[in-house]
Formats: sequence, structure tokens, C-alpha cells
Amino acid sequence: MKIKELRSLVVLLVAFFMILPAGPAAAEKPIVIGAPLSTAFLYGWAAERGMKLAVDEINAKGGVKVKGAMRPFSVVVIDTRDLEPGVPVSDALLAVEKLILDKKADFIIGGPVRSEAALAAMPLLSKYKKVSILTTGVLTPAYHATVEKEYDKFKYCFRIHGEAKNLVGEIFANFDELKELYKFNNLFIISQDVSHARGAANLVKDIATKKGWNVTGLEIYPTGASDFSMGLLKAKNTQAEIINIWMDMPESAILLKQWYDLKIPALPFGSTLAAAEQPGFWKATDGKGEYTLCNVVNAGNAPSEATPWTMKFYNAYTQKWGVEPEGLGSSSSYMAVYVLKDAIERAGGLDSVKVVTELEKTDVMGVYGRLRFNPKSHQVIPATDPKEGAVGSILQWQAGKRVVVYPKSIATGSIQLPPWMKK
Amino acid sequence: MEILIYGTINSAALALYALGFAMVYGVSRLPNFAHGALFVLSGFMTWYFLNSLELNYFISIILTLIATGVIGALIYQFILIRIRGMEISEIMATYAMGLAILEGLRWGGFKGMTYTLPAFISGSVDVFGVSVDYQRLLVVVIGGAVVGLLWLFTHYTRMGLALRGMAQDERAALMLGIDSDRMALVAMAFGSSLAALAAICLLPLGNIVVEAGYNVLILAIAVCIVGGLGSWMGAVLAAFLIGFAQILTVVYLGAHFQMVVALLAIIVTLIIRPSGLFGRQKELEERV
Amino acid sequence: MSVKTGQHRQERIDRGIRIRSDGIYALMSWRELSYLTVPRLALIVGMLVLPLVLPGMYWQRVVSIACIYALLAISFDFLAHFVGLVCLGGAFFVGTGGYLAAILNTSFGLPPLVTIPLASILGAALCTLLLLPCLPLRGVYFAIVSLMYPLFAMRVIEALNILGGTDGILGIDSFSSRWVEQYTVIGAVLLFLFGTRRLVNMDIGLVLRGVKDNDQAIRASGMNITRYKTLAVFIASAMGCMGGAILVHIYMWSGISQFALDFSILPIAATVIGGSGTLAGAVIGCLILVPISELLRDFGTLRIVFYAVILMGFIVFRSEGLLVYGQRKYHQFQRWTRL
Repeated sequence: MKIKELRSLVVLLVAFFMILPAGPAAAEKPIVIGAPLSTAFLYGWAAERGMKLAVDEINAKGGVKVKGAMRPFSVVVIDTRDLEPGVPVSDALLAVEKLILDKKADFIIGGPVRSEAALAAMPLLSKYKKVSILTTGVLTPAYHATVEKEYDKFKYCFRIHGEAKNLVGEIFANFDELKELYKFNNLFIISQDVSHARGAANLVKDIATKKGWNVTGLEIYPTGASDFSMGLLKAKNTQAEIINIWMDMPESAILLKQWYDLKIPALPFGSTLAAAEQPGFWKATDGKGEYTLCNVVNAGNAPSEATPWTMKFYNAYTQKWGVEPEGLGSSSSYMAVYVLKDAIERAGGLDSVKVVTELEKTDVMGVYGRLRFNPKSHQVIPATDPKEGAVGSILQWQAGKRVVVYPKSIATGSIQLPPWMKK
Repeated sequence: MEILIYGTINSAALALYALGFAMVYGVSRLPNFAHGALFVLSGFMTWYFLNSLELNYFISIILTLIATGVIGALIYQFILIRIRGMEISEIMATYAMGLAILEGLRWGGFKGMTYTLPAFISGSVDVFGVSVDYQRLLVVVIGGAVVGLLWLFTHYTRMGLALRGMAQDERAALMLGIDSDRMALVAMAFGSSLAALAAICLLPLGNIVVEAGYNVLILAIAVCIVGGLGSWMGAVLAAFLIGFAQILTVVYLGAHFQMVVALLAIIVTLIIRPSGLFGRQKELEERV
Repeated sequence: MSVKTGQHRQERIDRGIRIRSDGIYALMSWRELSYLTVPRLALIVGMLVLPLVLPGMYWQRVVSIACIYALLAISFDFLAHFVGLVCLGGAFFVGTGGYLAAILNTSFGLPPLVTIPLASILGAALCTLLLLPCLPLRGVYFAIVSLMYPLFAMRVIEALNILGGTDGILGIDSFSSRWVEQYTVIGAVLLFLFGTRRLVNMDIGLVLRGVKDNDQAIRASGMNITRYKTLAVFIASAMGCMGGAILVHIYMWSGISQFALDFSILPIAATVIGGSGTLAGAVIGCLILVPISELLRDFGTLRIVFYAVILMGFIVFRSEGLLVYGQRKYHQFQRWTRL
């Protein structure tokens, strides 16, 4: 063909393809989800993966139905580095602003992950009127208390995972059971020197004392402390039977390994013990992590049959990312995307105030139970029965596997004592 | 009794952290702010040799010690040698390097809490009625051995004597024909290997995380200042001082204040006796 | 720096116009006047116009943050190159100023435009008092102590759970409008920049520079060195505290992460890159580094590696910095001459 004819053929072909209707998802403007997360840390990347899994599933089924059109979700993740000790919160806030102003995020899901940063981000979200669903990290009760106190200002903020007070309640349910079964009475508490851990530890001490437990010690370790020998020895010398650990810093691995080596006759019962939540914990401690209990805050982060959706999520996550759901943040971020989709579809649009109203009316049977928000404080309503509300999970490492031992409604095993503790 | 044993263990750990920094500063007046980064880097290197290349543990350790020493020497030869003598630049350059290494490790995927090294020996034993695990006992043994070997090295071998001479008086050493740059290179290589040794002994107690780099740096500097910048024996003594102070604080005051002790020690030292316990920088005694 | 090539060598001499605009001769004609004033005017006008030309609120916020870092950088440059004290803990000033401003605002209800100057002065007094023990010492000690102080402060606040502990203080007032916010911070930067430049050329500045170069000579002249160092630290910390106070009002929050290492390191990097010894270089360095840092956010942690490597490269290979290089080119030129 001559050049001139070739050129006109090309022009005709291009025009032809431009007129052809493109696939429905590709033609519609995506709904942008902004995710400010600390991706170098477990709570950050677990949330990122949960979110992306949900977004991929929803987009594969066509997307979100808004005003008759199907629009896909798109996720923009910005690493806020807010869990790193040397980084100021203003960095995280700048990341949130970048998502809202520069990347034109329609909704914020996920973070910021550090309680301090999340609290500081609330006025920002209220200023820009962006709906935010917190799904990982932030455990402080101050978050939903602030929403309740100044509802009109902070009504855009939601939290879909359990918080510190829930965790305390769940722990005590287990303590009571252990007391009945094995006649345990001595409790030793070790906590990290951060606001939520310290607050929770003091709360545990108060409640335990009222319930008749003998609290033999409350040690608070600063972030970065690497020697817990004296604490452990004190626990041993005072015949503590349970050591309640509130630590999400990596040095907790030192504590647990030493516990195993010294064969301290006390059950390590942890809460948000980030090191122990991950599937890689077993190999990382050469099995010395056995018998460690930790609270992964929401079901779905460890295998159980809370609802029909739980294992579907569990297996989908494992298939997509090559590793099992890793800890706090995986299941909650996944559900947050679905809950948001549900609210957008009922609201019929992206208007923040309408979406807020619809989110308050959420009633979805999700991965970890029936998900509803408290209309005044925008905190997800917890329960011990998945049919009633959002269930948590406490797991224990047994023979290399994470076995869910609480709540009873979804447990796949029961608490075992290490061999050197058998009476 | 427990205080004595665990105090000694804590002190040995601190001494291991600090010796590398003290050696480099003592010989060449170079504050190596990349010390913590080298610590973490060698930990991850051993992990890599052990797990990804599936080498024998012992061989991985030897390889890491050599590799870290080489890295230290390279850092000196290509970067630090050009800014030697300019204090501000040295501090900033080594700090920037430490930052680059640590953040580079994080970007390279070494994040999370699942990277660990296996302990040399597992299990525990009762010493005078106090149970201690073997790895911690080994820390004390290795720490003691290192200090002893260092003493022998710097008193009885040519290279060691040269390093010591350099540390005592640079001009006199130069007059005797000891090459300042070569000694600084050797000191840097040694200091880095010492950091690697500390990593190998202490990391099996827990896991390897990038944040440990910053903590190690602070502790090493604290110990060296209290002991006197530039004095090796001073660093060891200061390690004992701070180590026991920390353990006593934990037992009697509360674990709360552990980190504050180290920082307080620095400030107290600077107010009362700026050159530290054994510091030989007499100019500092003259307050300006 | 001369290179011998045969019978020639390079030499560097001042430009004609520089000599012609020396002293009172600058008034000779518009050309000489503009040679002197254009660079300075460009900086001032450029900075004042910046909020107006930037696309979108996000970049305006970035400029505000850059200016806060610029205040810290000026204080670092001033201390390091005019007094000889390397301050590795700019974060301490930011934290102190920030907390003081937060307390003044929430407990006493003072408006932002009052809390900022008040917090700067009170904060400067506090910081100077705390740094007093190590002022009589030389060498690397001030650097290490100033590095430790922010970490120390963080631990103390955490341990004693005062001032809001790890949650921080919330509910601080913001500025009345965006423009007030930006022009306050830009105005502060310009004020302090030119004020400090004027200071180092006065008598006091001479004494301070003498302290850096040869403190024994100053001592021999019968002047108390500690007093002058204290004065210098007071001024520098006032700048840092002002930066902290402004930061707190921009984000309506104050917490222990104000003592973060980032606030210490970035100003140093900016000074080195921008040109150490010239205070304007510090400002320019910040205006370059902070936006680049934001642009590189997409790369995640790699951006930190990037700027650490660039910092290292500049320190080792081009330690004069951009502005010094620029000044040299502006004032002098190189040519070949016969031997």
C-alpha cells in the first residue's frame, strides 16, 4: 500500500476504535479511596492488602452502582511513616491533606495508624468534610468519645475495628474462665509506655483487683527497652500465673523468647501483641512462641467460622497475597470497603452528609459478624455472638498454628497450658 | 543476686554496643554515627546468609564479620577520608549514611517483626539460684573475651600497638612513621566488625528490626561519653555503671525510667566531669 | 584552585561591577544598585508572591511547612557557621515552642497571633536554660547533647504522662484565614533571615564569629565567652520555637512527635545543600528539599534513602552548597592568564 493510503487507513481505524463503547468500568470515573497508612509496619500493610483485595473483588463484579452507572473503586496509598519513632505527626497530616487536595480522594479508609495522628487528623477531616473509616491501629477510646462529644463537627469519622475497652472485656472473660478451670489467682501486667497500652493496663489492674485477683506487679516499659529480665523474674518469684502483655513494639519478641527459655510458669496473655499476630511468628521464634495468646481484635485475622464469609475472605486473602491474614487491619479494611460500597449505593451518590447518614444505618453480615455502627459515636458495635455484632478473636499458638480460643461461639480450640505449668 | 547477674548481662551488652564506636573515635576522632546502621545491617546479612543462601550458621557469622569490616573500610576509604578533620561534616555524613542504610533496608523489604536469628544454645540454667538462659550467659562470656582479646591485641601486637599509639597522641605516632590514614582505616574496619559481633550476640535474643539501629546508636554514644570519648577501658567501665544503674532503676523505681537513666547519665557527666571517667582530652577540662 | 596548562593558569577575580558597586559607589547608577539589590529583591518578592501563584491549597500548605523548616535551618546555620556550635537537636526547639503555644492557647485562651511571639520568647528562655550546662564545653559535646535533648524530652513526657502524654494536646485554634497563616510564616522567615544577616555584621556578630574561629583570643580580650554563646543560643532557639508555635497552630494539634528526629535532620540537610555560611542558602535549601520530598512521596521509603544519599554526596563532594557556588559565579569569574 502506498503511504497516503496507509495513513488514511490508520486514521479510520483509530476513529473506529474511539467510537466503540469501552467496557463499563473503564469508561466511568473511579471512586478514589485514599489510604494514609504506615506501610512499612504490619498494621499498615495488613490494611493495605485487605483493602486492595476488597477493591479487586468489587471491581471484578462491575463496581459500585451510583445513579445508574457502575463505577469502580481505585485505591491510592500514601506511606505516612507515622509508626516510625522519628517521624512527626505533621508528616502524616500532610499525607492526609495530599490525598484529599492533590489526589482528590473521595473517601479516606484505613489510617492514620497511630492514635496520636488519627486524633490530630479529625479536625482536618471535619474541615474538608471527608468521610473516613478507620480500620487499623488506633485503639484509643478517645477517638469515638471525641466523635460523640462534638457530633456535628466530627460526624465524618467512623471506626470499624474494636478498641481498647472491648479488648479488656474480652480478656477478662478469658481470665474468669482460667480462674474457674485452674484456680489461677495471680496476675502480672507488663505494658508498653504508650497511651492506649498504659491506660488499658491500669484498667486491667483496677478491674482485676475488684474481681479478687492478686495483681503482683504492673511494669511499664518505655518504647525501645530491650531487657525484660527483671520483670519476668519478678513475675516468677511472685508466683504469677498469668502475665498480661500490652506491647506492640518489636522488642516483645525478646520478652517471649526469654519467657520460653526460662520456663516461667505463667501464661503469656497478650493483647495487640503485634509480633505474635503474624503467621511468620512461629518460624521467627523457632517455636518458642508456643502457648502465647494474643488478641487480633477482629475475627477473620485468624481462621474461624464466625460467619460464612470468614473463611471465604481468609482463603481469598491467602490466595492473593501468598500469606494468611496477618493481624489487626486485614479483615477490618476489607469490610470497610464493602460497607462503604453499601452506603454509597443506598445514598445514591458521593455526598458526604448523605453517606454519613447511610453509614449510620449500616447492617451488614460481614467477615466478623453483624456490622453496625453506634449512631452517636460511630464506633462499630461489638458482641460475643457474630449474629449480634462484631466479634473479636483471641488466638493461641498451638503446635505451629494460630488457634482461635475466644469467643466461644467461633472457637476452634481451647486454651492450653505449657507443659511446665501442668499442676 | 538477680540484680548482680542481670546487671552484669546488661553491662556486657552495653559494652558490646559501645566498643565499636569507642574504637573508631579513639583512634581517629571520627564519630561514627552509622554505628547503629552497621549493627542492623550485619544482623540482616547474617539472616540472609543463613536463610536465603542456606549456609551454616557458623560460616554465616564469619562471613558477616568479614563483610561488615570490609564495608566499614570502604566507607572510610571512599567517603570519610575526604572530610577527615571537619567535625560537622563527619557527623552529618556518617549520620546520613546510617540513615540511608537503615531506610534502604526498610525499603528493600526488611520490615515487620519476623526476622530473627537463632540462639546459639537454647534453654536455661540456674546460676546461684537465679535462672538465666544460655544465650545471655554467652553474651557475658563473649563480651569478656572481646575485652580481654582487645587488651591483648592493643598491648602485644604491632598493629594493636600502632592503634594505641594513634589514640594516645597522633603527632607522636606520625613521627614514628605510623600512617594516620591507614590506622584510621583499620580502626574503622575493626569498629564495624565489633558492631557486627554485638549484633550477632545480641540479636538472637529478640528479632531484627530497623528501629533498633537508632536505639543502639544512642546507647553506644551514652556509654562512650560517660566513659570518656576515646578511651576503651572507660567505655567498658561506663557500660557497667550505666548497666547496673538501669537494672537498679527497674527494680526499685520502676521500669518506666529505664531509658531516662542513660540520657541522664550523659547530662550529669557533662556537668560534673566533661571528659568522662577516663577521658584523655585534657583541653575539655579547661572550661572556656 | 589553579590548573597549570603549559604556560597558563586559571585565576579567579572579582567582576568589574562588583568592585564598582562597593560601598557608596553603589549609588552611582541604577546598574550598580540593581546588581546589589536584585538577588535580594528576587528572594523577597519571590517568597511573598509564592502563596498567590501556587496551584491548590495542598502546595500552599507545603510552602508553609517548608518555611517552618527554613526557620530551623536559619537557626542551625547561624549556630554552626557563625558561632561554632553544631546543634543536632532543632526538634527540641520545635517541641518546646509548640507545647508552650498549645498551653497558652488552650489554658489561657490567647489568640494565635499572641501565642506565637510569646511562645518563642518563653521557649527560647527555657531552651537556653536547659542547654546552659554544655555551653562552656567545646567540640562535639554540644552536638551530642542537643541530639539527646529531644529524645529525652519525649521520654520524660511519655513517662510522666504530662502535657497530654502520648495523645498530645488537641483543640488548638487555627489561624483566622489561610492568607494570615501563610504570610505570618513567610514574614517570619524573611524577618529572621535578614535580621540575622544584619546581626552577624554588627559588633556582636564579630564577637560571635571570633568565638567560632579562635575562642582563646576572645577570652584574652577579657570577654566572657559563655555569655555570648548564651545570647546566640537564645536567638537561635527563639527562631526554632517560633517555628514550632506556628506549626502547632497550622495543624491544631501538639504532641510528643514534635520532638521527632525529622525536625533536626532536614534543616541540616537543607543548609548543606543550599549553602552553609550564607543564611539565605538555608532558606533556599528548604524551599528545594521539602517540595522534592513531597513529590517523591510516591516512592515511599525510597525518598528518605534518596535525600540521605544526596546529603552525603553534597557533604563529601560539594560541601560549599548551591548558594555559595552561585554567589561565587555571580561575584567572580575565572579566566586564563599567562604565567
